[in-house]
Amino acid sequence: MTNEKTSSTRLATDKKPKRRMTANAWQLVGLAMLSVVFLGLFNYIPMAGILFAFKDGDGSFNVVKDMLSAPWTLSNFTNLFQDEIFWTTFGNTISINLLLLLFNFPMPIIFALLLNEMQNKPIKKAVQTISTFPHFISWTVFGGIILLMTDMRVGVVNPILELLGLSSAENPVDLYLPQYFYPKIIIASIIKGVGWGSIIYVAAISGIDQSLYEASAIDGANRFKQMLHITLPGIVPTILVYLLLNIANILTNSFEQFYVFQNNANLETTRVLATYMYDLGFGSLRKYSTATALSLFEGIISLVLVFSTNTIAKKTTGRGILY
Amino acid sequence: MENSIKNSIKMNKKKNGGLMYKFGVWDVIIYIVMITFSLIALYPFVYTLAGSLSYALDITRNGPVFLIPRQFSLASYHVVLIDGRLYRSLINTIVSTIGGTVLGLTVTSGIAYALASKRLVCKKFFWTFNIIPMFISGGMIPLYITIRMLGLFNNYLVYIIPSAFSVFNMIILSSFFRGIDDSLYESAILDGASELKIWISIYLPLAKPALVTVALWIAVGKWNSYMQTMLYTNREESMWLLQFYLMRLIKDGDVPSDRGSDVLAINSQTLSFAAIIISSLPIMVLYPILSKYFTKGIMLGAVKG
Repeated sequence: MTNEKTSSTRLATDKKPKRRMTANAWQLVGLAMLSVVFLGLFNYIPMAGILFAFKDGDGSFNVVKDMLSAPWTLSNFTNLFQDEIFWTTFGNTISINLLLLLFNFPMPIIFALLLNEMQNKPIKKAVQTISTFPHFISWTVFGGIILLMTDMRVGVVNPILELLGLSSAENPVDLYLPQYFYPKIIIASIIKGVGWGSIIYVAAISGIDQSLYEASAIDGANRFKQMLHITLPGIVPTILVYLLLNIANILTNSFEQFYVFQNNANLETTRVLATYMYDLGFGSLRKYSTATALSLFEGIISLVLVFSTNTIAKKTTGRGILY
Repeated sequence: MENSIKNSIKMNKKKNGGLMYKFGVWDVIIYIVMITFSLIALYPFVYTLAGSLSYALDITRNGPVFLIPRQFSLASYHVVLIDGRLYRSLINTIVSTIGGTVLGLTVTSGIAYALASKRLVCKKFFWTFNIIPMFISGGMIPLYITIRMLGLFNNYLVYIIPSAFSVFNMIILSSFFRGIDDSLYESAILDGASELKIWISIYLPLAKPALVTVALWIAVGKWNSYMQTMLYTNREESMWLLQFYLMRLIKDGDVPSDRGSDVLAINSQTLSFAAIIISSLPIMVLYPILSKYFTKGIMLGAVKG
């Protein structure tokens, strides 16, 4: 009742300022305009810079001038797609991200489900706090630690492999070799990301109606069945959102995560689009335009993936994830 | 361990009242798996600490140190701590973390307040304007060109200004603001308070938990930022951020030139260990104290959608 009243009086007072805005209305617009300033400068103006992908500006050091006066061209894309390194990098990116999706995406879900089964609050809290910690450490540091741990002389991974009979003291496995890069980055990502990734699912689980559990217990469902038939379906919408985000980011990686592991010997295996873009644009060749073409290519694929997965979700489950 | 399991059985009985769960084999397995995983997540840092406190020659001769240094030495810390580049990058990082957090929080919460308000004119436009950059971005090079055009290249402000506003954090804060009871606003406006005044003296204090969370996220992001030195500076030592210094040390073996009195006590790896511990210390110390804030905000965003 009271709510209706206040909203109707507000509506009445709102009608007038439509012509002459009050000081308060201006203050709100002023605050909101801050977002226009920041996004305008650092997001929208760079969007116009996408046009640079259609300009012949490679090798230039005066990008502003090139942006304005260089001739229009499609050669940046043809150069990119004829580049052998581009295709190996593209392959690396897709395979690494698919492997991450396969191994690292389900982990936080399993982790959250198991966490939910832990009835002892202090232990649960400790597990959650400790497992989330590595998320807040940079990839430079965490990757650096992984490099040290897998080192042949100071690392602890080789002695562990020895215990398992996979390596020997006389003939240690060189974990810096390119073929060990995938397992290394997947395991490192799991250790670093599972705790943090599970938080969102823990939150979703806490939102599930408790009466469902009580009802099913009366029907004789054990905890495993409850987990499978109540908890898991309860977090499916959250899982879908994160799956969509992961699929949309199939070409995206964190630069440092890969850069820290890169050296001249393993570049062929470790190069992903994120680091390749940097090499193209800021390496000795300064291929600004080709790098822009690459980021446009990546952006378009992501956008297409977002909207197509959303459409699929909408058709199959009846509700979209975005809209 | 045994005790805690017993306790948890008791808690089960209490918590679920009539519904009693048996503490079975599955529970033992779950506890073992989860505790093991936590220990694995913690171990890299224990290992690094042990390595940083070790005598380098001992590691080279007798193999890796797992938990406790066999031959204790502070030499690596000594060498890293007399390295002038560490201090330069540390100061740059501290200033950019504090400046970036203060500016970021002010800007983000102000925008969040306006966009959460029912009284904002052209609300739909502002929301659309804020959402579009989540889907379309110019990419690395166009942003780089823009930064140069704005005169921010090789300028300390590049560490603070371009990243000050985050749409993601704004959405979290504005969903928190929307949850605050409107009657507070109504009575303040009757008392003649302005929107700015209401934002600062009513909404900000009420949103303190969400603000602390967002502040911590911004601060950790700033502390861990690396790319900005790579992209937007000439990479002179005076412009280095801590993570850039670390990457040089760890990856490229770019060790300090002053190697101290006992050269056998250190090598590039023990120096990396020590530098990692020194640079992660603020997070390692603050995290256990503030851990509930670190994770609170994402829950907030999740529950409210």
